[in-house]
Amino acid sequence: MKNQANPWLTSNLFLLGLGLLPAAILIGALLYFTAWAFAFSFTDLALVGRKSVEWNWVGLQNFERLFTRRGFLESLWTTVIFVFFSAIVGQSVLGFLLAAVLRGSQSTIRSVVEVCIMLGWLLPDIVAAFLWSATTSQTGLINQLIVVPLGFPPINFINEYALPIVTIANIWKGTAWSYLLFSAALDSVSREVVEAAKVDGATPFQRIWLVQLPIIRPHIATNMLFITIWTFTYFPLIFAMTGGGPGRQTEVLAVFLYNQSFSRGNLGFGSAISVAMLVIVGLLSLVYLRMLREPK
Amino acid sequence: MESTGTSRVTAIALAFMAVIWISPFSWLLLNAFNPMSTGQLEIPRAVGLDNFALAVSGNAGRQFLNSMLIAAGTATLSVIVGISAAYPLSRLRIPGRNAFLWTLVLLRMLPSAGVLVPLYFAAQRSGLLNQLGVIIALTVLNLPFTLLLLKNFFDTVPIELEEAAYVEGASLLQIVTKIVLPMSRAGIAVVWFYSFTGAWNEFLLPLIFARVQDAFPMSVGLYAAFGQQGAINYGFLTAFSIIYAAPAVGVYFLLRRNMNTGFAGVGVKG
Repeated sequence: MKNQANPWLTSNLFLLGLGLLPAAILIGALLYFTAWAFAFSFTDLALVGRKSVEWNWVGLQNFERLFTRRGFLESLWTTVIFVFFSAIVGQSVLGFLLAAVLRGSQSTIRSVVEVCIMLGWLLPDIVAAFLWSATTSQTGLINQLIVVPLGFPPINFINEYALPIVTIANIWKGTAWSYLLFSAALDSVSREVVEAAKVDGATPFQRIWLVQLPIIRPHIATNMLFITIWTFTYFPLIFAMTGGGPGRQTEVLAVFLYNQSFSRGNLGFGSAISVAMLVIVGLLSLVYLRMLREPK
Repeated sequence: MESTGTSRVTAIALAFMAVIWISPFSWLLLNAFNPMSTGQLEIPRAVGLDNFALAVSGNAGRQFLNSMLIAAGTATLSVIVGISAAYPLSRLRIPGRNAFLWTLVLLRMLPSAGVLVPLYFAAQRSGLLNQLGVIIALTVLNLPFTLLLLKNFFDTVPIELEEAAYVEGASLLQIVTKIVLPMSRAGIAVVWFYSFTGAWNEFLLPLIFARVQDAFPMSVGLYAAFGQQGAINYGFLTAFSIIYAAPAVGVYFLLRRNMNTGFAGVGVKG
């Protein structure tokens, strides 16, 4: 890291700079496009029609509409519920439990379970949506195997329990990431520490709660950061399964943004939604990054 | 005695979970291998590969190649651009580089629908509304994450090794290709894999960039096939889904050993 002491770096500054160049250009492009998106949020730009050419600056009007018109706040609430139950409660807790339990299991069981949950994660979003629509349909697996044999009429899950179903589908799809991360984190906890706690008479629960969890705290923060943000802006699975419906029951912010921008063509208002999402994501990240820094 | 009892209960619970986890696939497999598929969950009367033959011929086959081109192109371009920038970023003391990288990652958390409109206008003006345009656009969107991960991996390579190699007379290029890259192989594999699956799964961007059916990747093709009203050919769709899902699954299992080591590096640093 010390510039001065490393002659193979200092004598090749030109070459290193050349290496930075392509990335710098692409990053520049990214910043440029983002700046555009910000600028759009202060206009009444539309996808088609007169306003797509003769757009005007409208000041903060789009941002006012976020709070005065129906839609944004409802979508925000739906998103919070979706993120809390599918990412934090579902993926994170389940992923951690699996990682903790599977460490002590036979390697065959471990491999089998790992492969099963990985399959969900590796499946492309559109295929996962297709699969879950079929599984929860009136003639699908859940109805044929559980509901009908118990003597109930088949339930159209996607219509009646839309939000819980997309939440479960997302848990099914995303748990593997948390599992892998926690599994790697637990591997980094030295066995001596855990053994020492065992000798001192700590119960298995205490060993996890008081010994392992504090040690892997940075991993937990990182995991939370990534999955919260991903889930917050997650689009394809919900869009392909429900399109935001029935009604607006599953219209999370990402779907709301898409519907406003591309179905209704309000690019200006859509940009304001994405700016608002960015602000929320930024605040969340600050909280998590503090969690990451503090204990050191 | 007690501990074997507990572990048996755990094993059964785990096996039960694995079955639940994998059960949605039953419908996919039953329909894909059933030449007379109706989209219902039923045991096929005959088993055949007719659906798969349909799913690799004609348009569907071309969509497979399109997806492959986009995914491999994006992953390779991201890794090359990423490596050449991440090494200087890791070794040179550039003030505020960490804050800068994190800001970029945050910016990327902007839902991609947000930057889609400016991207589309730019691509239209420079004549890049094609596969190459999708590859470049996806690389741009991937780059912050790629840079951050690769820099973290390079940070873990001990600088003493490079020092020793320099003393022995190695050039910068030799140091990078003979020491740094081999030692961060796991990390590079992870980054390549992420970019590959990300681009393979990408739906929105190619949907907007690919104007003609010849240019559709599989994600758009599958979605379009959904939308075609009338008799939905479930056999074809399920077989197509399996073929679409296969490369990401295959690449993962090829890189599995590297992946699990690589994950440790994702975890810690800020």
